[in-house]
Amino acid sequence: MTSINGNQMQVRSERQVINLPFSRDSDWKTFLPKKLKVLKKGYLEIHCQDWVLNCRDLLYLKNFFENAGITITTIRSYISETIVSASALGFETDLILEKFTKSSSSLTKESANKNHPTGLSFHQGTLRSGEHLEVEGDVLLLGDVNPGAQISAAGNVMVWGRILGIAHAGKSGKTSAKISALQLRPVQLRIANKVARGPEEKPEEGLAEEALIVADKIVINPLKPCFQKT
Amino acid sequence: MAKETRIILICSGKGGVGKTTLTANLGIALARQGVPTAVLDADFGLRNLDLLLGLENRIVYTAQEVLEENCRLDQALVKHKQEPNLALLPAGNPRMLDWLKPDDMKRIVSMLSELFEYVLIDCPAGVEDGFKNAVAAAKEAIVVTNPEISAVRDADRVIGLLNTQGIKPVQLVLNRVRPKMMATQEMLSVEDVTDILALPLLGLVLEDEQVIVSTNRGEPLTLSSSNSPAARCYSNVAQRLQGDDIPIIDPSKEGSGMRDKLKRLMQTKIF
Ligand SMILES: Nc1ncnc2c1ncn2[C@@H]1O[C@H](COP(=O)(O)OP(=O)(O)OP(=O)(O)O)[C@@H](O)[C@H]1O
Ligand SMILES: [Mg+2]
Repeated sequence: MTSINGNQMQVRSERQVINLPFSRDSDWKTFLPKKLKVLKKGYLEIHCQDWVLNCRDLLYLKNFFENAGITITTIRSYISETIVSASALGFETDLILEKFTKSSSSLTKESANKNHPTGLSFHQGTLRSGEHLEVEGDVLLLGDVNPGAQISAAGNVMVWGRILGIAHAGKSGKTSAKISALQLRPVQLRIANKVARGPEEKPEEGLAEEALIVADKIVINPLKPCFQKT
Repeated sequence: MAKETRIILICSGKGGVGKTTLTANLGIALARQGVPTAVLDADFGLRNLDLLLGLENRIVYTAQEVLEENCRLDQALVKHKQEPNLALLPAGNPRMLDWLKPDDMKRIVSMLSELFEYVLIDCPAGVEDGFKNAVAAAKEAIVVTNPEISAVRDADRVIGLLNTQGIKPVQLVLNRVRPKMMATQEMLSVEDVTDILALPLLGLVLEDEQVIVSTNRGEPLTLSSSNSPAARCYSNVAQRLQGDDIPIIDPSKEGSGMRDKLKRLMQTKIF
């Protein structure tokens, strides 16, 4: 359930990529048979654009291509729901954080991306065991990160809930990244390449906390007063 | 059928937590309330729902023959001897797994919906093909777990999958609760479990030796008017499923009173 990094990309360089049409352009299901003609047997990466796909849809995709001898390895999408479903099914996933609106053309999408190299992506709902939410900018989760679940971001990780699983901020090396949550009781925290095991003792209830790197070590502090309950 | 049939998946992720036992007891309890109920063994690999219900020797046809149109549904359904409101649709043989698809499961269940008010699907452990087939036809689910970290973790994973499949409602049954161990914090508490899983609690089932005795006899506890702790719990779950507002037992008060202790002593003597 890891996302692709540079190395894996090279190993699987023979993998093919297709983009589903944007939802305003045409339906993805009717689009598939046309695409099948140009694909070879082997591995496939699918960019699902702005489609909100659930497990059932993704299984449909999986079966559809498997019947043609094609194995889906990676699901990319702008939509975090799609990514969560995909990672629940065990695909490699990649949530793309380019700013886009339903009416924008791909051109403005690219320019928006240049202006906002890192955005804030927002996800609502608890991450359950086995789920992995991974984003390229900052991430704000409204919900818990349960034991066995993981959340990671190139930027900051903010959780309006409890972190009981694994959180990784600054996953591409940004050491100034922070992890904050209403309750920090993680199995493991990572910031950039630093790893810390979670605290043994229960933190006080109702005290939001923040983890960051200070002098080469991950430390946990109470979150700044403006966030704190009075 | 005038009322919409409730199609309930009974699943857990981890194996051996008590899915089949719950399916059998719930099936009998609902049937005893006069509700036409079917139990479907979706555990094609390791079927044993028929054993628990004491129906093994009555099976002639299975879901497989129905799907292949080698027999009619009513020929494959095995009626329970004492509770004619309950019928079992046995699984096919293990080879069936190779060709059974979610659509086949949907076909079977929609046939059952014509005849029954409840269809309980006993799901295999795991989250692989067996689970995916079983979940395809279900509308709602009961997740069974034990007060153990590994069982809770697997339950959480399954709940995540159920959510992405649009199964609603998903309710929780916590099985094999030992009040004493909970009191001494040797076992996860009810709150520990519901805190992580964040599901409505449909019921607790106490750890009870009678469960094992009844399993070996092929007579689910809810079949007799046994007043063993687990029997009461299973009937309560059935009643709550029907919408009755029955309070959930408080493990900290369970079995501490003199009467309860006596009752338990007597019961262990009887067998
Ligand atoms: N409340 C209980 N008290 C004591 N024993 C129990 C209780 N519930 C279940 N058991 C025992 O646990 C064992 C496993 O139960 P069961 O077969 O119902 O689990 P399962 O979840 O269906 O397993 P599988 O995943 O293998 O299908 C059985 O031996 C059963 O008797
Ligand atoms: Mg079983």
